[in-house]
Amino acid sequence: MGPETVEAPSTLAARRRAPAARLAALRRSPEVGALAGFLAVFLGFSAVAPHFLTLDSLAGIMTIAAELGLVAIGVTLLMIAGEFDLSVGSVLGVSAMAFALMARAGAPHLVAFLAALALAAAIGALNGWVVTRGRLPSFIVTLGSMMFWRGVLLAVTGGFPIAYEGTSALFFALSGRLPGGFHASALWFLALALAATVVLTRTPFGNALFASGGNPQAARALGVDVDRVKRIGFVLTAVLAALAGIIQFARFGSVDPLRGEGVELEAIAATVTGGTLLTGGYGSVIGTVLGALIVGMVRNGLVLAGAPAYWYRAFIGLILVVAVIINLRIRRR
Amino acid sequence: MAEGRWLVEMRGIVKRFDGVEALAGVDFTVGYQEVVGLLGDNGAGKSTLIKVLTGVLPPDAGEIYFDGRPVRFRSPREARALGIETVYQDLALVEMMSIARNFFLGREPVRFIGPLPVLDMVEMERTTRRVLEEIGIRVRSVWEPVSVLSGGERQSIAIGRAVHFGVRLLILDEPTSALSVRETRKVLGYVEEARRRGLSVIFITHNIYHVYPVADRLVILSHGRKIGDFRKGDISPEAVAELIAGGAILPEEGRP
Repeated sequence: MGPETVEAPSTLAARRRAPAARLAALRRSPEVGALAGFLAVFLGFSAVAPHFLTLDSLAGIMTIAAELGLVAIGVTLLMIAGEFDLSVGSVLGVSAMAFALMARAGAPHLVAFLAALALAAAIGALNGWVVTRGRLPSFIVTLGSMMFWRGVLLAVTGGFPIAYEGTSALFFALSGRLPGGFHASALWFLALALAATVVLTRTPFGNALFASGGNPQAARALGVDVDRVKRIGFVLTAVLAALAGIIQFARFGSVDPLRGEGVELEAIAATVTGGTLLTGGYGSVIGTVLGALIVGMVRNGLVLAGAPAYWYRAFIGLILVVAVIINLRIRRR
Repeated sequence: MAEGRWLVEMRGIVKRFDGVEALAGVDFTVGYQEVVGLLGDNGAGKSTLIKVLTGVLPPDAGEIYFDGRPVRFRSPREARALGIETVYQDLALVEMMSIARNFFLGREPVRFIGPLPVLDMVEMERTTRRVLEEIGIRVRSVWEPVSVLSGGERQSIAIGRAVHFGVRLLILDEPTSALSVRETRKVLGYVEEARRRGLSVIFITHNIYHVYPVADRLVILSHGRKIGDFRKGDISPEAVAELIAGGAILPEEGRP
């Protein structure tokens, strides 16, 4: 950076500096590691698994990624704000079950849909209230919430699954079949990921999310209502989990009381693989989209490669740890 | 005391924790465009006094006037709304966020796209760049994370932010205790600049030499009591250091 009066050398220096600056900017973006992992997994399965690169297979990956990714979007926003939600799997199950019971009792689908989302919002608000009011670690509070709602679900249904065959415009909108074998859920996933990205990176609320997780004391000193930001985050997360649950129900036409078990950990895996820091204050929804796609590719790709499906979890675990190592390496330059 | 002489007037402030008096009837004032050094050893009551002033803690007794009007802040937000901004030593900025985002945190300029308030990134970049230039901090981009800045630069930006947003009272909590001599001098320069622009400043420190160059007045606390309140010309820094260390009340100069 030369003095402003000397035009030529300063622009020259700026031009010479540009690649370095661009590299620095790239390193600052949380998605780099996820993008590398995405490409590695994609190319790897393309080479190894025979039918991986077919439309059918890609559509299947997208469907898995969409249902997991919807949950993971909320988990990401909340993690950036510095909190965990382990109850998303239970909320997913409870909401799907609530919707199924209401639909089976004859409630219009739209009414049942909104009621199930409202129920999830209430659970999320309760999570957030206990965490912020009691100054308790969200890990513990939502672990309790996860067990409590799973228990309620099992007790209410007596452990039996509920099947419900129905068609409606809502079902089609949520998970209808699109050309090429894709499901409508993919559109919900991409649209909501885009919306969450805009909110996160381009609105004051996004700023507040980053600040609440990055340095809550500084945020408070600057007038950010950190507790309110976190409570909104818990509600959003629960509602997104419920949406994923009902979308999945629309696809399967049935729900069992264990639905959604383990989703909380997969959502955290997708989020962290996507570059979001477990400790809050840093992350990206685009990274999470890539993380969810990686999970989808692994689940589908292993089967197509002829590996026993049991290997799926082992593989996800491996990718998670490798991704975190890469992300940290990049950040430390 | 004449009306309108003080921006801040705290009278007879008492604060107890579990029956122990952290503040035992403290009077404290800050004039308009005045830099007041608030001094005392650890545990003297400096932070407690500031927390009472900014609404973090409610006082058990005493009155607070801001700009001549009685106030009782129930939260820091209420104090902030009247133009009282506190900059904490290590907590002034969010490290992982960009400089521009930090600068506007809690006061973001927005444009509305439909009902959605969207950050005005152009305005954020322009203003942050201008203020950084005024302060004399050079960065590649205002979108770089705050972690690329030194401690002194962070304090300077926090002060620049308060000046830019027209804060009336700036409270600095140990702003220079972690800085090099050169950086300390720079930060002190911005404190003076803040006063020139019409702000009043409370400068909290336990080291008289950090605040002496810029202070108009020095207030010394010890064990929850005010043991000294001097115009700068009336006392030497050595005498103040002695007071802070010994906590003894000087017979004649002890009261204003």
